[in-house]
Amino acid sequence: MKTIKFLTLTALFIGFTSCSSDDDNSTPLLEIETQTISNLQATQSADYSTNPATITGDYIKFSFETGATTTGDNWDIAFRGSTILVNGGTATADDQPERTGNASVYLATGTLAEISTVNETSLAQDDATNGLAITTGSGNGWYNYDSTTHIISPIAGKVIVVKTNNGMYAKLEILSYYKDTDTASDSQYYTFNYVYNPNEGVTTF
Amino acid sequence: MSLNKNKTLIYFTLFLSCVGFSQEVKTDSTKTEQLEDVIVTATRTVRQLSSLPLPAQIISKKEIQSVNSLRLSDILNEQTGLITVPDFGGGEGIQLQGLDSQYTLILIDGVPLIGRSAGTLDISRVTVGNIKQIEIVKGASSSLYGSEALGGVINIITEKPKYGFNGDLNSRVGSFNTYDNSLNLGYRKKKFSISTFVNSFNSDGYDLNESDALNTVEPFNNQIFNTKLNYNFNDATSLLLSGRYYTQNQDYVASEDLKGESDINEWNTHLKLKHKYSEKWSSYFEFYATRYKADEYLNNPDNSRFSESDFNQLLLRPEIRATYSPNKKSAFIGGLGWNHETLKRTDFSKEPEFNSPYAYLQYDTHPTEKINIILGARFDNHSEYKSQFSPKVALRYKLSDKIAVKGSVGYGYKAPDFRQLYFDFTNATVGYTVLGYNAVSTAIPQLEEEGQIANIVVPISEFDNELKPENSVSFNVGIDYNPITSIKLNFNAFRNNINDLIDTRVIANKTNGQNVFSYYNVHKVYTQGLELNTSWKPSNNLKISGGYQLLFAKEKEAEDAFKNGNVYARLTPSSSSFQLKKQDYFGLYNRSRHMGNLKVFYEFTKLDLDANIRGTYRSKYGLYDTNGNTYLDTYDDFVKRYTIWDLAINKTLFKNYTLGFGIDNVLNFRDTQNISNISGRIIYGKLNIQF
Repeated sequence: MKTIKFLTLTALFIGFTSCSSDDDNSTPLLEIETQTISNLQATQSADYSTNPATITGDYIKFSFETGATTTGDNWDIAFRGSTILVNGGTATADDQPERTGNASVYLATGTLAEISTVNETSLAQDDATNGLAITTGSGNGWYNYDSTTHIISPIAGKVIVVKTNNGMYAKLEILSYYKDTDTASDSQYYTFNYVYNPNEGVTTF
Repeated sequence: MSLNKNKTLIYFTLFLSCVGFSQEVKTDSTKTEQLEDVIVTATRTVRQLSSLPLPAQIISKKEIQSVNSLRLSDILNEQTGLITVPDFGGGEGIQLQGLDSQYTLILIDGVPLIGRSAGTLDISRVTVGNIKQIEIVKGASSSLYGSEALGGVINIITEKPKYGFNGDLNSRVGSFNTYDNSLNLGYRKKKFSISTFVNSFNSDGYDLNESDALNTVEPFNNQIFNTKLNYNFNDATSLLLSGRYYTQNQDYVASEDLKGESDINEWNTHLKLKHKYSEKWSSYFEFYATRYKADEYLNNPDNSRFSESDFNQLLLRPEIRATYSPNKKSAFIGGLGWNHETLKRTDFSKEPEFNSPYAYLQYDTHPTEKINIILGARFDNHSEYKSQFSPKVALRYKLSDKIAVKGSVGYGYKAPDFRQLYFDFTNATVGYTVLGYNAVSTAIPQLEEEGQIANIVVPISEFDNELKPENSVSFNVGIDYNPITSIKLNFNAFRNNINDLIDTRVIANKTNGQNVFSYYNVHKVYTQGLELNTSWKPSNNLKISGGYQLLFAKEKEAEDAFKNGNVYARLTPSSSSFQLKKQDYFGLYNRSRHMGNLKVFYEFTKLDLDANIRGTYRSKYGLYDTNGNTYLDTYDDFVKRYTIWDLAINKTLFKNYTLGFGIDNVLNFRDTQNISNISGRIIYGKLNIQF
């Protein structure tokens, strides 16, 4: 009897320890997704006959969950020209898409690989009084504008960290604002790398 | 090459006919060899160059003539550690010890040139046709000269007439239809001397980029008139009166449709009364007045006026000073003066007026034969910005007849310019506004009243304190070494710590989406390096000289940003970014780590011919940040290193006629994208007649 008890305990022990080495949760974690999005077109047009100029065009909404643009409410961030919105907070202008989610963002300094944990206190939402969470203007946000060459170039070492509308985390690095990453070609075409962690509440990449 | 063959032919025919009728040959009085070079800029007293405790240099008339320089920029560019840097609109400023041209004071006979409309003083404005020597003193010298003498002082000493009536005619013609003609007339009797100098300089300019309507340098012509009068009342009292007038006219082309002209008119008058009371005491009264006026306009194709701008600066300066030498070992110099400056300029909030009384004192002593100490200080009281106290100390110790060590520490500053204080400019097409520091407190409330301000970024109360002048502390440590009489070696290590550099920042956002900018004290920069000068005279006929400067010019904040790993770059514009290391920071724009020169002068005595070949080298440098991280790092695009070779031959005929020929930039080096002040190869001929 004693022997059986001992063997059972040993078996259980081995069973438990072997389990804990690769899995201490009942549901295994999903794999972190790394993707490149090329030539996401986010065209805006400007009418300079008015002062200030009237900017028109649709915001192109993007969802990290699907890894593609969307027309529904499940978007996380949206692009138009050099402006980036987040699906959370309040609108700063009338022509922006309705924010139904609770997403938030911040701009981190580092390489895409370096940013390994989310600093949750930095996360912010768009705000009618305080402006967009990703500030606009040359040198203020994700890009620099060269007034002689008129080229918009993404600032090296700027990574956008996103808490998505469904509570996941993503990070992205914009690589280019031009079609086929050619600054001689048309602008308002985003190319970016992103990393998406599809595990709710996990703040590491 | 646009050397006009016909005109050249006429020129040489004229030259030959001149040679033909020259009969009267006078004895050459210029052949009096100077035994010791003396310099006045370093101490405002006459000092032997070789025994000075400060890093200083003299460029002689002989060198200027043998290399056939036309403008100050030509000759300074060949000196160790000096480089001319092109400015917007074709001006050229001098970089010294890695400091921008705003920080070097340019003097003619001890009084300053003005007219820095955008900070740079265009030294191509100064001809070298009537120069006796150029004196260069490196290191902060505000203890004697006040504002602008932060990096150093360059003083152009003009020629004094010789006994009797004499003069010379100088004419040079070269590539790009460039003509330079000057006439020097001098008369001197026992008590009285007068000299007059006239120069005319014109050129078709040149174009490095044919694809647009603009030329790199538009055609221009300028004239200089200079008269100097000296009268000795007796052995003790003398009077100097000098006047100079400069006028330039140049095409101004902004685009294919917008064309106009730009004019510069400048005059200087200088009066100096000297009285010697005894062997020990002398006093000077000096009055200097100068005006610099620059006007430009652009017309539309239908000849209607598109834009006009003007700049009109006046400086008046009375000064009294005295020298006292209690014995042969020591000398005092002290002075009291007043600077009065006004400026009228387009886009200014008001017509500003500066008043600045000042006082300085210097003690120069040799406690023992081996030691020389200079102590000096100056105080500048100013109506518009913080008053400045500028001390300086220098020491030289002679270890032996062959070797001496020297060191100096000094304070230097540069007054905020009128633009940084009074600008009130709104760009008509884009809509941003730039305000001078002192214009903010009135202009912002006015813009607010007009409903143009969306929100204030920097509160107006921050502008209550006066804007501080940019200032520096400079250190120089050097060795003079003469192993044998024919070899001279000078070595100098320098460091300039510059504080409160003025930059612009956004102080408010406008309702039109643009910003309001103003100036503030922010940056800390340092430049440091080594300078080495050598010369070797193996015989009376041959002189070989070489110079080298090593330079590190960096901004402290940028250095910290790299050190802390806050700077990133991309290898290609659209590749992933990576972190830059401390050593990836290259430094300030437009600074080369290495600069050097090599010159060989040879005199063929029997042939009355002298020839020289000179090379100047500049290592790579960055002009702007090309990878978008706002810093100049090793992954940016750089202007490639280059070497320029010049050669010149001068042949003297019948003692008083010199015929010169030369090629500047023999290998026709050009960088059409990046270097606007190097035109390519210049071939020229020169004629000089002395009488």
